[in-house]
Amino acid sequence: MMQLLHEYREDIPRVERFNFVSRFTHWGHTVTFILCLFTGLALFFDSVDWLAAIFGGYVGAGIVHRVAAVALTLIIAYFILFNFRVIIAWIKDILRFGMNDIGFLLKFPAEFLGFHVNIPPQTKFNGGEKGNSLVTPTMVILLAISGYIMWFPTIFPKWMVLIAYPTHDIAMVLATCMVCMHGYLGSFHPGSGESFWGMWKGTVREDWAKAHHAIWYEETYGQKDEAEEEEA
Amino acid sequence: MANKTNLFDVSRCTACRGCQIACKDWNQLPASIKPFKGHYQTHDDTDPVTYTIIKFFESEDPVHGVSWNFLKRQCMHCFEANCVKVCPRGALSYSGWGAVVHDPDKCIGCQYCATACPFDIPKYLKRLDIITKCTLCNDRVEEGLTTACARTCPSGALMFGDRDELMQIAEDRAKKLQANGFPNATIYGKLELGGLNKLYVLTDTPDKFGLPVNPKHPQVTVWQDYVQPYASWLIPLFLGASGVSFVTSRLIANKNKNKDIDKGKEVENDAITS
Repeated sequence: MMQLLHEYREDIPRVERFNFVSRFTHWGHTVTFILCLFTGLALFFDSVDWLAAIFGGYVGAGIVHRVAAVALTLIIAYFILFNFRVIIAWIKDILRFGMNDIGFLLKFPAEFLGFHVNIPPQTKFNGGEKGNSLVTPTMVILLAISGYIMWFPTIFPKWMVLIAYPTHDIAMVLATCMVCMHGYLGSFHPGSGESFWGMWKGTVREDWAKAHHAIWYEETYGQKDEAEEEEA
Repeated sequence: MANKTNLFDVSRCTACRGCQIACKDWNQLPASIKPFKGHYQTHDDTDPVTYTIIKFFESEDPVHGVSWNFLKRQCMHCFEANCVKVCPRGALSYSGWGAVVHDPDKCIGCQYCATACPFDIPKYLKRLDIITKCTLCNDRVEEGLTTACARTCPSGALMFGDRDELMQIAEDRAKKLQANGFPNATIYGKLELGGLNKLYVLTDTPDKFGLPVNPKHPQVTVWQDYVQPYASWLIPLFLGASGVSFVTSRLIANKNKNKDIDKGKEVENDAITS
């Protein structure tokens, strides 16, 4: 049987995938999102008193929810302040949605289950990651905005409070679905599991980068001369 | 217990505000002292320690001159209450005889009910981090007494009793008013929102008393109506799919590995590089 995670191999050449600010933001959001998720679910699924008890009852869960939400917001601000260039590059990469991404999405179900498929070369974020990059941050931002409106309903106009409730509900479901998939694919999935080290230590195996994100690898770490020739 | 309710007859109210005092007295609520704003109404609206107020509506026309409309404002105790539906802790519930009661021990002060209420009734009491509202004197009625406000009313504007009997009184009274100079006299609370457990006899159309003519529940029940019953399976589905992949991808990888060993190939995790 295979191990849970890919082994971290220092003997194989590695390339940087995420800088420190990105990684801090990612793991900060992991912790705060999960805290918000479970304290929120304690309220909105019936008869889960044990879940609230973990956080010291419903009042405690409410406090944890709010503290985690403020931390989550501060981390977004930190990410924007100290990693603005990376955000722009990220958005540009999401917008490079092409045939190779459609090819990825069509073949992904087989890859997901563990079958061997040939996937067209991908940029830094493949078709699925582009989808996740679009949906999850959007939903988290919507959750944050609607959350503050619900927290202080008296200082916002009534129509905003009325919209905030359904927004918070729907965004929670979508974000949670994405997070469930993302958490698995970014860790225990044999094909893409190497990307876990990209987010934990910042680097991924060079051969994995070549195989899974060929376009990104060539543009970032490939022969500069060749890339320039291709552009010319 | 039969359905008990209050009937408030606008045409009999003298705005003495005894009901406001009786409410404060019975519920042991402190005074809520507000700055004088140049009119007779004591407070702009109900507040966390003022469950009911008499609202003053001044109007002037050439025939009657200046006239007042008085309206007692408090929780309407809807039969299909949005606040009961949205409360995530079940702190709001039906008493069984017509009141919507609030359990402060369960309340976590999220104010979802305040947003969901079509009459803007639940008020947030910051000191205790809970909401408060009229109880329809649940504790008195359960012991066979009348509500504090109805008990104190000197002019007979507030009555307490069986809803069916009061409905009959209200209809007779509205007809009498219509025949005696109030052609727009009407009943409020009979059909609104599927029935309110507070009946009103009004001398004019509801909008003249600051009441919504066709009240509607604010649409903040997307979670209760759609998301929880129809979409919450999405989360287990995504978790389950990951679980299936966890097993199948390992089974397939193991099978390929065994094949490679049989062929005498070098064994490497082929998922990394392919």
